Amino acid sequence: MNVSAVYLKRGDTGKLVEASLVDEVTDAHLSLWENSWGPVMKVRCANRTSSDKPEDYHWDWRQKAGWWRPLLGYHSFALLCRNELQGLMLASDFRSARIQMQFGKPIIYVEFLATAPWNRPELKKPTRYRGVGTVMMAAAVELSFELGYRGRISLHSLPAAEPFYRDSCKMTGLGADAAHHDLMYFEMTSSQAEAFRQKP
Amino acid sequence: MSNMKLKYSKEWYEKRIGLEGENEVGAGYLHGSPESDKEKVTFVDTRIALGAFVSLWRRNQGWDAARLAEKAGIETQEILEIEHDPHCEPEPDTVEKLANVFGLPAKPLLELAGLIQPQTAALREEAVRFAARSESAAALNEHEREAFEAFVSAIAGAVRKK
Repeated sequence: MNVSAVYLKRGDTGKLVEASLVDEVTDAHLSLWENSWGPVMKVRCANRTSSDKPEDYHWDWRQKAGWWRPLLGYHSFALLCRNELQGLMLASDFRSARIQMQFGKPIIYVEFLATAPWNRPELKKPTRYRGVGTVMMAAAVELSFELGYRGRISLHSLPAAEPFYRDSCKMTGLGADAAHHDLMYFEMTSSQAEAFRQKP
Repeated sequence: MSNMKLKYSKEWYEKRIGLEGENEVGAGYLHGSPESDKEKVTFVDTRIALGAFVSLWRRNQGWDAARLAEKAGIETQEILEIEHDPHCEPEPDTVEKLANVFGLPAKPLLELAGLIQPQTAALREEAVRFAARSESAAALNEHEREAFEAFVSAIAGAVRKK
């Protein structure tokens, strides 16, 4: 298990704070999700209708861990700051690229990515931390380079997150995927990954 | 688990997180969708696998697309669409003719093409793993041959398991 020193930005002061990215979601992380993240999410969404709840409200990370752990080809990540869970990501390494210039080549596919409820502007303002998406995208890109996939990554964006992947990460949108609940499908090419690594 | 470590500078995070701003960042399934995560392999994924399979099969024979089309009694364009366009739904008759040339049962190939309801989750999982390990080089390398032969076994086995 590797731990990388990374940074997040405080939502109130805008200052960077040290955080840790762990390249395996452990039972301790799942306990944090069950005992802190999950209950806070429920409280903050108590008065919301089903359609107003966050798109990942029903995700059960314990259940997800139950099926990915025995399988090869999955990579899980937990992001922590001050002993609190800030983000979770599950990626796989056995899917193929769809964009023409890299069609059929192996790609890191982000199966699930979520941030803790206190880091979401629609649930808490100011948010506790910003940058969870940035750290997780960096993790996916570096995993891709490490496996020889040259930085290629892809995902299906939740609707509210499309601006992040399109405008901030400069990924290429291939349109709504009818086979995937019409979620927008994005890919990052090798050259886009190289650009992502550079200081903007 | 990987041996990956992030080595970005503090300045990189300062700039990049600034670009992230207040945007949402979630990726994956929508709420309200069934939590049957293993069903996430889609027709597009399996058609990519089918296309890679057709390409590797004919290259294994040393055939070009026109030769395979001639043997199957279909248009060359149909072969090229199957190999390169996962959004294109092939005709059932075309897939059955190809299965006949390959000497394989048609049902698993029809399933990969999205022409019949998915019945074998293991086949679809095997298909995406196969596709991810297939490259479009001119000749099969050892790695591709190994993946190709394993996938042929999976297709043949898909019928026996039902």
